[in-house]
Amino acid sequence: MSRPSHSRGPGDPASPPGLVEHYFRHEYGRMVAVLVRQVGLHHLEAVEDAAQGALLAALTAWVANGIPQDPGAWLHRVAHNRLLGVLRKDRGHQHILASAADLGAENGEEPVSPAFAGEVRDELLRMLFACCDEKIPHESRLVLALKTLCGFSTGEIAFRLFTTEATVYKRLARARERLRQGEVDTQTPRLESLRSRLPSVHAVVYLIFNEGYLSTHAERAIRAELCEEAIRLGTLLATHPVGAAPPTFALLALMHLHAARLASRQDATGGLLLLEEQDRSLWDAEHLRQGASWLARAAHGDVFTRFHAEAGIAAEHCFAPSFADTRWNEIAELYAMLERIDPSPIHTLNRAVAVAQGQGPRAGLAALDGMVPPAWLDGHYLWDAVLADLHHRAGNAAAAERHRDQALAAAPSTAVRKLLQRRLTKPTL
Amino acid sequence: MSKRNYLVLLRSKPAGGQPRPSPEQMQQMFAAYNAWKEKFKDDILDMGDKLKTQGRVVTASGVADGPFVETKEVVGGYMIVSAENFERAVEVVRACPAVHAPGASLEIRELEGARM
Repeated sequence: MSRPSHSRGPGDPASPPGLVEHYFRHEYGRMVAVLVRQVGLHHLEAVEDAAQGALLAALTAWVANGIPQDPGAWLHRVAHNRLLGVLRKDRGHQHILASAADLGAENGEEPVSPAFAGEVRDELLRMLFACCDEKIPHESRLVLALKTLCGFSTGEIAFRLFTTEATVYKRLARARERLRQGEVDTQTPRLESLRSRLPSVHAVVYLIFNEGYLSTHAERAIRAELCEEAIRLGTLLATHPVGAAPPTFALLALMHLHAARLASRQDATGGLLLLEEQDRSLWDAEHLRQGASWLARAAHGDVFTRFHAEAGIAAEHCFAPSFADTRWNEIAELYAMLERIDPSPIHTLNRAVAVAQGQGPRAGLAALDGMVPPAWLDGHYLWDAVLADLHHRAGNAAAAERHRDQALAAAPSTAVRKLLQRRLTKPTL
Repeated sequence: MSKRNYLVLLRSKPAGGQPRPSPEQMQQMFAAYNAWKEKFKDDILDMGDKLKTQGRVVTASGVADGPFVETKEVVGGYMIVSAENFERAVEVVRACPAVHAPGASLEIRELEGARM
């Protein structure tokens, strides 16, 4: 009996070529952005369903026939046709079909596929700005961006943000509701006209980054993922006229410089490591290079944002030859600038730490003299941990012990508690 | 040794209630299916197809809409495996990622080869 050879798709090698990491997730974001541009934001849900359906169809078809020559175009065509089918069913949507030139293509006609990477980049940015619409509540902007642009499911978002799926769902529903209420003309504003939303876009991108960077998630890959997404969106922004400005460059520099040190923050058992304990050879050279390059570009112009100050601080740490040889006085000065731009007791606390490193623990304590911590910081482990450390090093045993006990009691996780125990029981430096 | 052909029917619970896979999960499934297909490429005669949910049931008394939604399981797809014996066919099918889908079952039926 001869084995009939079934078709395996064009140019299919013995083993199908793999897809780049997160291809489906990112392609989902690209499909959503392009289709939303065609039918309007108020159809976001139908668009997302179409993108989801296209990926599901690909799963079956590509296993059977191999990955098509242009998988992106394949997906967009399928998603486009699915969306067309859904909207056609609803007579109320006829005007959309008529007005969307691409969707007006009759049966058999190929939809205009986003052949140029630049075109898709515009749509992705437009979607990012749409997520940062003032009409959308703050906490909804982040989840909307993660869902539509990054292609995470509600479950995956909940897992990464340490919240429940129901909460994520509610936030998404609120965002979609606001978008539905939006004027139909929201689908066609010029990208440049959205420039006023840039600060809000920066805030959301930085929030995504920090959700990954500050997360105490046990798995590093999970944390790194959100950092990578934020850097991806930040790069998109920085390389387009609408976002190419020093604050964006500073934000991108900051994210690269933080990301460079991501791998070295944990020991082999997942315990957190202090900066002085980190193996500097583990720092990611490519991130460092990118960080330095974007920071240089951020220095042009006459604006100095919080991102400039924070990137400057990160750069001081990253490019210091060793912990001991860090330019602490420069860092203290940058924290002082950060305090002026964005007053926060956390910045004051950080400045005190830098001052103590550069000029001794008593100078550090003096920097906090007269400061009354707000309620949220009083009782936060960081406040007590810094005071315990400074008092310990200044020889004030009683005060050190009191703050140490309070810091340990307030530690939010086992990893943090272990770190505090190690740090705060060390002999005087 | 000549091989025998086996029809594999994929059954699953009617859709609904189960969360849809995320894009990331779909990519993982894609990789898993590809690895399976590659490993057993000499045994998988036909990757088959998925079945659409709508259908008709024809009997002597007429034509009805089907399949019946009240049934606990619906046939969602098929494929054809070619193997030396039943044991090998079971081995191939047991390694198929579809086995791990919630509520899924795969039925293996040897084809008689009456028309060969």
